Amino acid sequence: MTISQTVPRDGIAVRRHRRIRISTMVWFTLPAAAIMALVLGVPLVYSFYYSLTGWSLVVPGSDQDFIGLLNYTDILRSSEFWASIRVTLIYAVVAVSLECALGILFAVLLNLEFFGRGLFRSLMLIPMVITPAVVGIFWKLLYEQDSGVFNYLLGTLGFEPVPWLSLTVALASVIIMDVWQSTPFFTLIILAGLQSLDRDTVSAAQADGANALQVFRYLTLPHLVPYIMIAAAFRIIGVMADFDKIFLLTLGGPGNVTTTLSVYAYNTGFKVFDIGRTTAISWIYVVFVLAISAPLIWRLFRGASVNRH
Amino acid sequence: MATSSKTNRTTRKLLWTLFWCVLAFVYLFPYTWMVLTGFRHGVDTISMPPRFIFEPTLAGFKHLFEVTGFQKYIINSAVVTIVSVVLVIGVSAPAAYALAHVSRRGGALLVAILIARIIPAIAIGVPVYLIATRLHQLDTYQALVVINVAVNIPFAIWLMRSFFMEVHPTLREAAISDGCSEWQVFTKIMLPLVLGGMLATAVFVFIGVWNEFLFALILTTSVSPTAPLAMLGFRTQYGVQWDAVGAAAFLVSTPVIVFAFIMQRYLVQGMTMGSVK
Repeated sequence: MTISQTVPRDGIAVRRHRRIRISTMVWFTLPAAAIMALVLGVPLVYSFYYSLTGWSLVVPGSDQDFIGLLNYTDILRSSEFWASIRVTLIYAVVAVSLECALGILFAVLLNLEFFGRGLFRSLMLIPMVITPAVVGIFWKLLYEQDSGVFNYLLGTLGFEPVPWLSLTVALASVIIMDVWQSTPFFTLIILAGLQSLDRDTVSAAQADGANALQVFRYLTLPHLVPYIMIAAAFRIIGVMADFDKIFLLTLGGPGNVTTTLSVYAYNTGFKVFDIGRTTAISWIYVVFVLAISAPLIWRLFRGASVNRH
Repeated sequence: MATSSKTNRTTRKLLWTLFWCVLAFVYLFPYTWMVLTGFRHGVDTISMPPRFIFEPTLAGFKHLFEVTGFQKYIINSAVVTIVSVVLVIGVSAPAAYALAHVSRRGGALLVAILIARIIPAIAIGVPVYLIATRLHQLDTYQALVVINVAVNIPFAIWLMRSFFMEVHPTLREAAISDGCSEWQVFTKIMLPLVLGGMLATAVFVFIGVWNEFLFALILTTSVSPTAPLAMLGFRTQYGVQWDAVGAAAFLVSTPVIVFAFIMQRYLVQGMTMGSVK
């Protein structure tokens, strides 16, 4: 009896309910969509409008000066802006490459057989979740030229003290700090990739005489590529938006050697109070980040719209 | 021969264990140093050579609570974070459920969510500040909660959606054929099934809000600053009280580390918004 009821249900009746009704869709998503539109969408539109004005908080009445695209052309001609783009790109490319390489190394090492493996896998995650503001203030202490522990340790090894936060070294110091915090992110994802690698394939290759290096080059690495790409894509987006750590370590200085696009936008808005200009920078920033992250958006979207069942 | 290969294997395992002890010690040194600084007299931290062996003290914590008034920052952080997490999950769960069952029509909404997730916070910093000023909401809990909720909704929807999609769709279809409303399917059938994933999402949102710095910097001054913002106060102080900074850093970072350990099983899925499992 139950069988005779369920068979047609699977076939025909159930199909009717496959899709969600439009009204249900609207009611279920409305609160979230409304908050996103009001709190994220409205400011974005607002900021586009102000980017077309010459509004500066220190010039009363200037919010009515409609100057068209002048802010944009000014910014694109300013050397400060291009300097911040340069810093952002160097920071992103160098940090993400190093994190990727170290992440692969750590993941492979964590995938070996040893005692307490689970414990070490957990411990190696710690830097990743520490509050970035805490990391920034703390690395400032580690980097102190005269009283910092890094220079002390270098000294005991016979090296000269490094002026970590000076004009020439500060950007490298910011990168090292980020590599320390974000390598575990790569390790975590690449380790997940390693664990999903088919052991039988590896054993078969080894039986056919492949050495460890060959196995890694021709089996492991190709298998890891999608994992590495995902991790790198997320990290590039993260690095582009990075603010807290840099702000607490260097405030963008000395000079502007560690002023990334985010610090530049912050300073223009909250130190110079040039609303027109900072909102224009924000829009350039948004376009820049979206252009870079378009492949990831596409991939997440495509991956998400494929029905798994 | 079998025993000798077994001993070899154990020796190798021991050697790698030793290797990892050294590597983990070196790699985690900055963190260890931070924690130690919180339990050490300030002068011992900046003395040259730094004191690796020292007399432990709670002076830093004492200074933190009695002079800096750090409890206010921690309470602010706790209030803002807990309220935000509840609201984010509350509005995101139904949206995630609905979006798990669209084929192509929800496409535009899905892309909008991803874009909202990727836009850098600083890009809306100035207009958010201006709007908050105009609404007289600067330095209030509600301003901080509202912005944190909005910023975390896209992530929460996307991640929870991936958990809802793991439930076989025939379950929903059968329940609806049996006369359940969509809301009943959502609350009675789906929510219990994805509870683990929802808790994991809540923890990720907790970590995100707890660690948030930029909007706290822009929107707060004296009433509602959160704990990460206190770090900036330490920075600009003349003659930094490093023992207090270490103690604060320890208090701020410990909850998120503990939560991350608890949720380790979901960490990969959470960090990649469900694209890697």
